[in-house]
Amino acid sequence: MNEIVMGILGVGRIGRLHAENVIGMPGVRLKAVADPFLEPDEWRGRGIDASVDPEFVLDDEEIEAVLICSSTPTHADLMERAARAGKHVFCEKPIDLDPERVRKTLAVTAQAGIKVQIGFNRRFDPSFSKLRQAVVDGEVGDLYLVKIVARDPTPPPIEYVQASGGMFLDMTIHDFDMVRYLSGSEVEEVQVLGAVLIDPAFEKAGDVDTAVVVMKLASGALAVIENSRQAVYGYDQRIEVLGSKGGIEAPNEVPSQIRLRNAEGVRSENPHYFFLERYRQAYVDELEAFVTCIREDRDPPVGGVDGLIPLLIGIAATTSLREGRPVRVEEPVP
Amino acid sequence: MAPAPGPQESSRQMNPTIIGVIGTGRIGRMHAHNLVRYVPEAFVKAVASRSVDAGWADGMGIPVAVADADVVLCDPEIEAVVIALSSGLHVEAICRAAQAGKHIFCEKPVAFAAGPIREALAAVHGAGVQLQVGFNRRFDPSLMKVQQAVRDGAVGALQGLRIINRDPRAPAIEFVRRSGGLFFDFTIHDFDTVRFLSGEEIVEVYAAGTALVDEEIAAAGDIDTAVIALRLANDALCSIDNSRETGYGYDQRFEAFGALGNLAVDNLRPTTMSSSIAGGVFVDGPPSTFVERYREAFVAELRSFVQCIRDGSQVAATGEDALAAVLAAQAATVSVRENRPVKLTEIEQLISVEVSS
Repeated sequence: MNEIVMGILGVGRIGRLHAENVIGMPGVRLKAVADPFLEPDEWRGRGIDASVDPEFVLDDEEIEAVLICSSTPTHADLMERAARAGKHVFCEKPIDLDPERVRKTLAVTAQAGIKVQIGFNRRFDPSFSKLRQAVVDGEVGDLYLVKIVARDPTPPPIEYVQASGGMFLDMTIHDFDMVRYLSGSEVEEVQVLGAVLIDPAFEKAGDVDTAVVVMKLASGALAVIENSRQAVYGYDQRIEVLGSKGGIEAPNEVPSQIRLRNAEGVRSENPHYFFLERYRQAYVDELEAFVTCIREDRDPPVGGVDGLIPLLIGIAATTSLREGRPVRVEEPVP
Repeated sequence: MAPAPGPQESSRQMNPTIIGVIGTGRIGRMHAHNLVRYVPEAFVKAVASRSVDAGWADGMGIPVAVADADVVLCDPEIEAVVIALSSGLHVEAICRAAQAGKHIFCEKPVAFAAGPIREALAAVHGAGVQLQVGFNRRFDPSLMKVQQAVRDGAVGALQGLRIINRDPRAPAIEFVRRSGGLFFDFTIHDFDTVRFLSGEEIVEVYAAGTALVDEEIAAAGDIDTAVIALRLANDALCSIDNSRETGYGYDQRFEAFGALGNLAVDNLRPTTMSSSIAGGVFVDGPPSTFVERYREAFVAELRSFVQCIRDGSQVAATGEDALAAVLAAQAATVSVRENRPVKLTEIEQLISVEVSS
């Protein structure tokens, strides 16, 4: 098995998580990381080169693939530079908040002939990927409905909200990807009902913190997403599909299965606290898929256009929120 | 030895509330049976139906079985009637029963539009009788507990409700044709449940509806699959999903989400057995019919109705509740037709224009 040599651009919270997963992965070597705020000695002490300059990673001819985990506004530029340097790219979502910019970047990566994978980690969650497989295997027959509940345990800082592009581009974008993934169909039209019920700061930022999103799919099926920025009991992540032969549910996963019975009733555990805990395995599996695709010269399962389409759905949802009407999703290619 | 008393004999001794049942289809028979069997304060004196089954009535200990509802309405001994006719006949029956001075329990939907319901309400209020509508879920032990918990602040400020309401099998197409459509026949319960659990009025409706289950339903101009988003007066957002056919039973799940947490009601299971075998772990699916799922609620709603008649207190599911649910159903219908969110105020204005013109 030939060794894949990797670099990481951006080692904040998510980049650091990926770094640990890469370090533990057989047949893969993390050679260098770059981040304007990193502590070089910490990385060098573990035998990994470190720099504040991304060129340090991009110029290294031994590095075959990079993970782009920097702040969102730098993604598109770094993807293009990595492509020109001939490196395969794994990029966290979103590529950019501007679809035109995403299209331009994808043209550059296509021209370079590199592999691109987008960090829609939930596709690799064991429960959700099994649910998808069951749909593909026809276990529910013709698909009628996809339902997603996605609630965060606690709202992000308001500065983050202001830069995030709004709830639909920051949070719901994962759910839009899941609707496409689980249904195997495209979203044609979106209608949103949104509200600010948790923190008035969302309203000042022109955003919402609570939403119900109804979608019509090209297959004729319907989908609905329920989002909240704050569920006090943890990270509420549930999916369910209904079809002509039955339904499938993926309920919340919990840290342990224990149940306490006493005079007050029965108590079991809340869901995992947040995404790092809930999708621990998915973060490992998405990188393994990326590495396998490089090694076997196959297309990654979540390619560049899969990064673009949920963005277009999110933009349609944002327009629906603003204008109070159903909005058609723009075609991914002009 | 004297023969054992009939099912109703024992109640005759205790000054029962005397009731007539109009309509003896599936629901009418169920209500008659529940009154006879489980509401000792009631005595079912008469049933009326065009296709009356005298043998069945006799077996139930109901002395009068007639084809003509007027026989029931003209009987001065009868204090209250249960109306379980085809939905299109409800308003006329309510008006006639009210004029005859009878208290009324009427199945849902009372009508397919607000105008006729207002007419029925005027007759009821004019006659000073009580009208209870068959929103049986208001008497389900689990949903009553959710409603109480929401009111007690268990989830803090209410931010949303989720309702999953799916039938096991699509009804016969003849029924679909005269049902008034999915929103009036089926979702009407969900609209009422939203109001019941939240204590809030529905202010905006967006409905996406389609026919995926049965081509005949599409041909009849109806839908069999729907997702409905609702906004309540306190800005809480709700979702309802409906299907006419699951294939796995009567799927009834409810959640109330708020600032302090989430309440969830799962499907009942006929038995709690699970079997773990090589193919996986298997448990019972939901009950296969609404009669099984809401068995207790169907009894409790009649018990409550009879109690309200006896002590003069206000019924728990009123004609005004029926009107509010029908307005939401009208909004959902307009929403599907015009593919846009519809405010309830639009529907009310529409109706006032129709009435004045």
